[in-house]
Amino acid sequence: MFYENKKNLYLLIVAIFLFALNSLNIFYGTPMVPDQHWAQKIFYLHVPSAWVGFLSYFIAMISGFTFLSTKKDKWDIIGTACAEIGTLFMSLVLITGPIWATPIWGKPWIWEPRLTTTLILFLTYVGYFMMRSFGGNIERVKKTSAVIAIIAFLNVPIIFFSVQFWSPELQSHPQVEMNQQPTGILIPFLISLFVFSFIFFVMLSYRKYVISINKNLTNNV
Amino acid sequence: MDLLKLINKELRAEILNKEIIITMLSFGLSIIVIISFTSNLSKQIIEAYAPGLFWLMILFVTVLGVHRSYAYEKEFNAIDLILSAPIDRGLIFIAKALSGFIFITLMQALIVFPYFIFLSIDIDVNFFPLILSTLLINLTLMFVSNLISGISMRARISEILFPVLLFPLISPLIIAATNITNSIINQAPYIEWQVWIYLLISILIVFGLSGYALFDFILEE
Repeated sequence: MFYENKKNLYLLIVAIFLFALNSLNIFYGTPMVPDQHWAQKIFYLHVPSAWVGFLSYFIAMISGFTFLSTKKDKWDIIGTACAEIGTLFMSLVLITGPIWATPIWGKPWIWEPRLTTTLILFLTYVGYFMMRSFGGNIERVKKTSAVIAIIAFLNVPIIFFSVQFWSPELQSHPQVEMNQQPTGILIPFLISLFVFSFIFFVMLSYRKYVISINKNLTNNV
Repeated sequence: MDLLKLINKELRAEILNKEIIITMLSFGLSIIVIISFTSNLSKQIIEAYAPGLFWLMILFVTVLGVHRSYAYEKEFNAIDLILSAPIDRGLIFIAKALSGFIFITLMQALIVFPYFIFLSIDIDVNFFPLILSTLLINLTLMFVSNLISGISMRARISEILFPVLLFPLISPLIIAATNITNSIINQAPYIEWQVWIYLLISILIVFGLSGYALFDFILEE
């Protein structure tokens, strides 16, 4: 069992503890922004979720390249685990974005470049998981999934700029002027970013374990 | 030389069967009829939406045509014969994309008149930039769709996976295509829409190079 290993168990406990502390800090330790009130608090979850999502997809792309060049299963497992975690966090971005936007922009969805890029990446990864599930020959699926992970990430700047040129009048994202935020907002935000990154690495090691066990079971059947 | 032989093979297969062009043309005409029935709106509204609807129709037609071109290879196991030939596999991708470019351009030349007649659209434009930009859009469209079709070709549910993967990845191209055609129809100066041409060229380079480099991995057993 994964958690029989003491190191993994301690990492899980630390992740849960950090997540709880971070949530308490967001609720009680951060200042209320006058014109946004409680809606602004979601920003401490929304932006770190987006960071982890993009980080996961970036690692999935790197794993894709490495898998295609080395043909080592380890990289396929890392790529799949990152794709799963990335999609989970991208879903959180797509849920928290409209929650924040409804009171601030007056409607849940605006074709804002970052949010749109997230949506398109999310949809591309829906295709990625369909390929993994219904693709047929497993060895071929590994290669095609690696190619999808590569082109999905290479497409990110293209999607971002196309949406930005398409609707330049849109209000910009709150993340844009992060360096101009007061310390009371910036430090909790950076703490949240660290906590989410830590949770990502804990989740990644667990998913890698689960996927490799599943692979071994499938190979033995 | 290998590239020319491969393009020649695609063209000869199409001249013998006429499957792709006829399929694309009849499907395109059906879409125009459906658009006419569902958009019984004022002339101004139709003219405003005409470029977007046109590229939407081309996208659907492309899905059908490109999928057919790969399904044909699969049906007769022709792809294995091509793979056994001593040629660069990246060239197979380029040959498929270039022959697809010829088919879609031919199909567009035939369908553009029924499109304007059925939807009662009057346009008074400089055809030179319209034709040049359409050729660039077609070329980019074919590079992207052939890469994705190659990825999904051997999957168990390739006919579903292809559009599911293609549509999110191709959205920047559709945004660019619609904006370019709209700008030309509205006689906007080139400086206002040159950004979209640069975006198209970026997509062409990214997907062209990715396809050329990755097609070997996509096709290998």
